[in-house]
Amino acid sequence: MKKLFKLLAVLILSVTVFGCSGEQKEQLKVYSWGVYIDPSVITEFEDKYNCDVIYDNFDSNEQMYTKLMGGESYDVLVPSDYMIERLIAEGQLQQLDLTKVPNFSNLIEGITDLPYDPGNQYSVPYFWGNVGLLYNTTTVDYNDLETEGWNILADTNYQGRIFIYDSERDSFMVALKALGYSANTTNEDEIQAAYAWLTNVNDTMSPVYVLDDSIDAMIAGNKDIAVMYSGDAAYIMSENEDMSFYTPNEGTNLWVDGMVITKDSEAVDLAYEWINFMLDEDVAARNSSYVGYTSPVQSVYDEMSGVGGEYEGNIAYIPRLGYVNDEMFRNNETIRKEIADLWTRIKSS
Amino acid sequence: MRKSKYQKIMPVAMIVITLLFFYLPIILMMVFSFNSSRSLTSWSGFSLQWYQNLFKDRDIISAVTTTVSIAVISTVISTIVGTISAIGISNSKPILKEVILTINNLPILNPDIVTAIGLMLLFSSMSIDKGFLTMLLAHIAFCIPYVILSVLPKLRRLDANIAEAALDLGATPWQALIKVIVPQIMPGIISGALIAFTMSFDDFVISYFVTGNGVKNISILVYTMSKRINPTINALSTIMIVIVTIILIVINIIPLFKKKERTVLE
Amino acid sequence: MKTFSNLVKPYMIWIGVFVVIPMLLIIFYAFTNKGNTVVSIAFTMDNFLKFFDSVYIKVLLKSLEIALITTTICVIIGYPIAYSIANTKSRTQTLLMLLITIPMWINTLVKTYAWISVLSDNGIINSILIKLGLQPITMMYTDFSVILGMVYNFLPFMILEIYTALAKMDHALIDASSDLGANKVQTFEKIIFPLSLSGVISGITLVFLPSVSTFVIPKLLGGGQYMLIGNLIENQFITVGEWNFGSAISLIMAIIILIGMYFARKFDQDGKDSNKQKEIKHA
Repeated sequence: MKKLFKLLAVLILSVTVFGCSGEQKEQLKVYSWGVYIDPSVITEFEDKYNCDVIYDNFDSNEQMYTKLMGGESYDVLVPSDYMIERLIAEGQLQQLDLTKVPNFSNLIEGITDLPYDPGNQYSVPYFWGNVGLLYNTTTVDYNDLETEGWNILADTNYQGRIFIYDSERDSFMVALKALGYSANTTNEDEIQAAYAWLTNVNDTMSPVYVLDDSIDAMIAGNKDIAVMYSGDAAYIMSENEDMSFYTPNEGTNLWVDGMVITKDSEAVDLAYEWINFMLDEDVAARNSSYVGYTSPVQSVYDEMSGVGGEYEGNIAYIPRLGYVNDEMFRNNETIRKEIADLWTRIKSS
Repeated sequence: MRKSKYQKIMPVAMIVITLLFFYLPIILMMVFSFNSSRSLTSWSGFSLQWYQNLFKDRDIISAVTTTVSIAVISTVISTIVGTISAIGISNSKPILKEVILTINNLPILNPDIVTAIGLMLLFSSMSIDKGFLTMLLAHIAFCIPYVILSVLPKLRRLDANIAEAALDLGATPWQALIKVIVPQIMPGIISGALIAFTMSFDDFVISYFVTGNGVKNISILVYTMSKRINPTINALSTIMIVIVTIILIVINIIPLFKKKERTVLE
Repeated sequence: MKTFSNLVKPYMIWIGVFVVIPMLLIIFYAFTNKGNTVVSIAFTMDNFLKFFDSVYIKVLLKSLEIALITTTICVIIGYPIAYSIANTKSRTQTLLMLLITIPMWINTLVKTYAWISVLSDNGIINSILIKLGLQPITMMYTDFSVILGMVYNFLPFMILEIYTALAKMDHALIDASSDLGANKVQTFEKIIFPLSLSGVISGITLVFLPSVSTFVIPKLLGGGQYMLIGNLIENQFITVGEWNFGSAISLIMAIIILIGMYFARKFDQDGKDSNKQKEIKHA
């Protein structure tokens, strides 16, 4: 018996010690999207700044928010524009001292100083893009895309062959745009009309609601049309030549994912280093190349999309800027709740 | 009665088909973990690259470490606490016994998602930072009931007189416990420990809800990585399956050897 | 023995904190709405009323339906298999049961993940179909894939329970029956099946109740639109952030399951069921 106890004691001790052995260096906790960074970049950062980076993933802004409110503590978050707006309003973020982010000057002007964070007082762009239709050029009639725009998702000719992104915000944006309304509308009738539009698609088109699972599926050509983020589309197009990307004339959502520092962060200096590191030309290039999303760094953007660049000719890599019907999301708590509720209903039916 | 050929073949066919059903996906997954391309459907040659990837991926290694350490620690603690508590329960007044047992069974009877939510709310309202500690506490919380449930039947069959006799003969309660009671209920303790370990190792739902700050176990890892085709997960799964199979075979063979020993001795 | 009864006291504190309080919290959240201060707690039935909307009732019914189908399939397949195994030689029985139980020990996530690559549109089955010149079938993200995944996960439990009941059976009874002139069918109908019923009931309990509350298998194999009760709860807590509504649903589900278990206990003749199940798993 005694021997057994001794063995157990040793076992527990060694496991605890082993588990705790990583606690000597400073830690940076980053909470970001899945497959949104080149893993070698993390290792390089850890070596360069002699720290441990805990890199956690979320599937959606809402999930990130819920976890944050549930008491998780991270240093750097990478939310989308409207979520940044919400976090700012709720006092969850630190105001940024941009002098500590010298690489800020590398950024494309058009995506800085936007309404969700005027003057970039709280956030620094990480990736940006829009939402569109990834489609199989061999099976989808381009004419349909031009004439129907987002309504092609309700075109029963393509029944059973579409992927819809499992995000209430993006789906309602698509519905509202298809009906000619603003994606940020607060008009109850319009929202109900969008709800009806989505319910119709759900009932008649047998869509499959997915998150990132659609990426591999589209590379394999399993379906013909998918609502996609431009970055994922760019990546898929680089792997499957039959695929192309279309942003309807009705307009779409232009988005920016930005890096922010949480109010309670305990590794603020390290956080600044991280943010600045991400905007370094070489690092940003590697990230953009690995993930497929459009870089906010001007020189990288030019190189990737330019002659000889990795995404040369890839229209998903160059999102439309300045198109009057394209909108950025604004934060509205009441509408958000309503839309979330309606979306759950649509999926449940 | 002579069985017709049909009667003989049917059961065999059924069993074979069932076994194929069970093992085909697993075997396919194991086979393709050695594939030299990323495909999970077309074989392009033998390669150990995914296994190499596995050992280089810090995320995976840390998830495995977390899973194993939590499983070991929670098994040890819940076995000890569970055994001691079971002894206490079996010696308690009937009413108290009923109440404690009913509450004890809640984590087992409740769907794991309800238990998970409850624990998540608990940690949130106590403002405890979610992570390794909360996962560990949660695992201990749902393992102990299984240990108790495993030990109690053995305790019931125990002859209470023996322990009392030990006390009468001058043994301290502690000695009576360790030298008299425990050895007799050892099979229950061991099976309880095994169940606890499996429950902890395999757990997904409860861990998913109570973890935070990047702490993951293997189940959570597979869940998050399953969105993109990733043969590295196949490699990890293969290793896990092989280990489980070996352990199971060993456990089942040992009694056979013991039987042989005994028959030889007799 | 009084000294030993003190041993339970630390555990009482533990379950007070880790079992009782969490349940109370769920109940609390279920009956309140957001925006409560410590002073004024407003209890409300809102969350429950919200659930009794046709959309959510549909989710509940769908969960019950899927669980029912899964359980039925498990019984229909499981019984003959268990019966066949029980009729083989003792050595073979041990081997076969070992083979049947190994998958039980493999991580659920891993098992379910294995099916994704088999059922995918570009997965193994479809690749073979295409090679044979046949039309590929869409299997992923359908009722079929979810039920398949669930049956795959739960069938071993059913087989185990039925087999144990059959193996325990006193063969003298069977011999007596045929001595008294009954043919095989009669023996089965009147002796074997009724005596094995407790195994079937345990099996049903082990399969139906977890099936109702599962969310991992539907999520991985059914896709985002597959909303069973478990998915709904997860969705409310993780994505939507409506902890109150989520708690109400959890409570409703917990009550349904507890009622289910109560009835299962009543049907079961043995009574010491749950202990047996755990013992059996490690026999």
